[in-house]
Amino acid sequence: MAASTAVRAAVSFTQKFVRVSPDCSACPLYRLNLCTGATDGFTAPNRHLRTSIGVCQSADSSSPEEDERVVNVVYIDRSGQRIPVQARVGENVLYLAHKHGIELEGACEASLACSTCHVYVSSEHYEKLPEPEEREDDMLDMAPMLQENSRLGCQIILTPELDGMELTLPKVTRNFYVDGHVPKPH
Amino acid sequence: MNMMNRTLSRKLLRSMCGISNPRLSFAQSAVNTVQGQKELIKSRELEKDELRPLYMDFQATTPMDPRVLDAMLPFQVNYYGNPHSRTHAYGWESESAVEKARKQVADLIGADPREIVFTSGATESNNMSIKGVARFYKAKKNHIITTQTEHKCVLDSCRIMEAEGFDVTYLPVKNNGLIDLKQLEETIRPDTSLVSIMTVNNEIGVKQPIKEIGHLCRSKNVFFHTDAAQAVGKIPVNVNDWKVDLMSISGHKIYGPKGVGALYVKRRPRVRIEPLLNGGGQERGLRSGTVPTPLAVGFGAACEIAQQELEYDYKRVTVLANRLVQKIMSEIPDVVMNGDPDQRYPGCINLSFAYVEGESLLMALKDVALSSGSACTSASLEPSYVLRAIGADEDLAHSSIRFGIGRFTTEEEVDFTVEKCIQQVKRLREMSPLWEMVQEGIDIKSIKWTQH
Repeated sequence: MAASTAVRAAVSFTQKFVRVSPDCSACPLYRLNLCTGATDGFTAPNRHLRTSIGVCQSADSSSPEEDERVVNVVYIDRSGQRIPVQARVGENVLYLAHKHGIELEGACEASLACSTCHVYVSSEHYEKLPEPEEREDDMLDMAPMLQENSRLGCQIILTPELDGMELTLPKVTRNFYVDGHVPKPH
Repeated sequence: MNMMNRTLSRKLLRSMCGISNPRLSFAQSAVNTVQGQKELIKSRELEKDELRPLYMDFQATTPMDPRVLDAMLPFQVNYYGNPHSRTHAYGWESESAVEKARKQVADLIGADPREIVFTSGATESNNMSIKGVARFYKAKKNHIITTQTEHKCVLDSCRIMEAEGFDVTYLPVKNNGLIDLKQLEETIRPDTSLVSIMTVNNEIGVKQPIKEIGHLCRSKNVFFHTDAAQAVGKIPVNVNDWKVDLMSISGHKIYGPKGVGALYVKRRPRVRIEPLLNGGGQERGLRSGTVPTPLAVGFGAACEIAQQELEYDYKRVTVLANRLVQKIMSEIPDVVMNGDPDQRYPGCINLSFAYVEGESLLMALKDVALSSGSACTSASLEPSYVLRAIGADEDLAHSSIRFGIGRFTTEEEVDFTVEKCIQQVKRLREMSPLWEMVQEGIDIKSIKWTQH
């Protein structure tokens, strides 16, 4: 338990300052086959994870089983630019965006307390997402410029059937950055 | 009095000496014109011992219940904080008062407090529902259904939606004022987003079959909005039983303060609305703006009182209404009650007196405050579109009077009104040439009137 927390701390610490994708071969958990592969990028792992292993991720892997877990997602940011992103199954849309420098602000760090990670999901994939829980709906109500295909990005976990999903960022969030300020990801 | 006014205004103008010259002279000339106009139009004040007229217009507005005023006063002068201030006790106490009021409103209609949004009145709530739902779902759904007897704010919002490119169907009503459920079912299309039908009509008092309409709309997956301004607090209302998705409530129709109302927005299944008022995201983002604490508290208190006294008031109003109608109809012939005799709220009685002009009867009954048609149409010259929709003849539509009976109406007031009404109708009919012709046996409808 202590070992895993130490590993997690070390890995995330390194990532914050060095900004490299972690090399799984160096991680004792990977070697011991204890890595669940749940990837969250640089930030604290999702609180709902059962084992707090966290952030093992391989940058360029080419093993056959991992190809099935690749999900291609396209982000369309506020200026209209299309940013295709390759992701893994189980990744969180909000942290994926942070990893690729997309301006999706997650002010409350995925704790369902704000509406700043509001995204529009492409309509074909909207139906494939699970029903939002009531707390998500409550927070979504607060988001400006809501549409029928709106969801909170921090609650979308990628699955294989979401391949090809397009996520459009709305023009505004509840925070007033009319001066052009862009918040840094937490 | 006039002299005093003139010197007062001169003193005021002198005190405004700091402002630049052109503005000063403009203000001076403005005051002078007003003074001049005052002398031309003599305001009609009540004579020394003259009493005010009896109030029999409870559909236009209601007096505030003294208990509601008691509840509101502390929040006007003592607990005056902004309910959205999170950081100090003024804010906290105001917020808890608003939340308490929200619960009181929700309890009256059988809803969850989180489903209530405070607005400035039923007009705003109606605007929010129609425009909000239509605009939110406009990508896939383009059709709105309403009736021809709705309140003007609903009809005007629908007309604006038509101008924005939506398709609106105005359903006709039967002669008794009720809508035809089969016709409604046939009108609903796959691209219908909203059906809006009021619960109790404000002009003729007719009560629509809301429960059946609600179930029909839910089965077809269409949102159902009802303007319940005249119904809430007067008849039992339950939004879950009736399967209503949106409901507009007005404060000043249930003995509450003017300037406040509410919109019920269902949470499960969630109804999404594009807000009319944008801002800091208050009221679930649906209606930004500071919630007026004293008004909301008064509204909540009015709802609680209404819930407790609903049954008693209903029985009393029914007795008084029956008394009024029976007395009038037994004394004078050729009186028509507009709207279904059973499916109605008894406190709103619309009677048409044949061969008598409505405006002249209203002026003759100067000791009673009544109206012909709704307050919002009293400025325009057209006869009520509601009466036209139920198929009333032009002449009957012009001679209709609406009697409103409420919580504070007494038996003596009803008797006085009835007596005066009978007296004046008889007098006006004596003077009416049409009445003479009818007495002689001529059929009015067969006459060809010539143009001058």
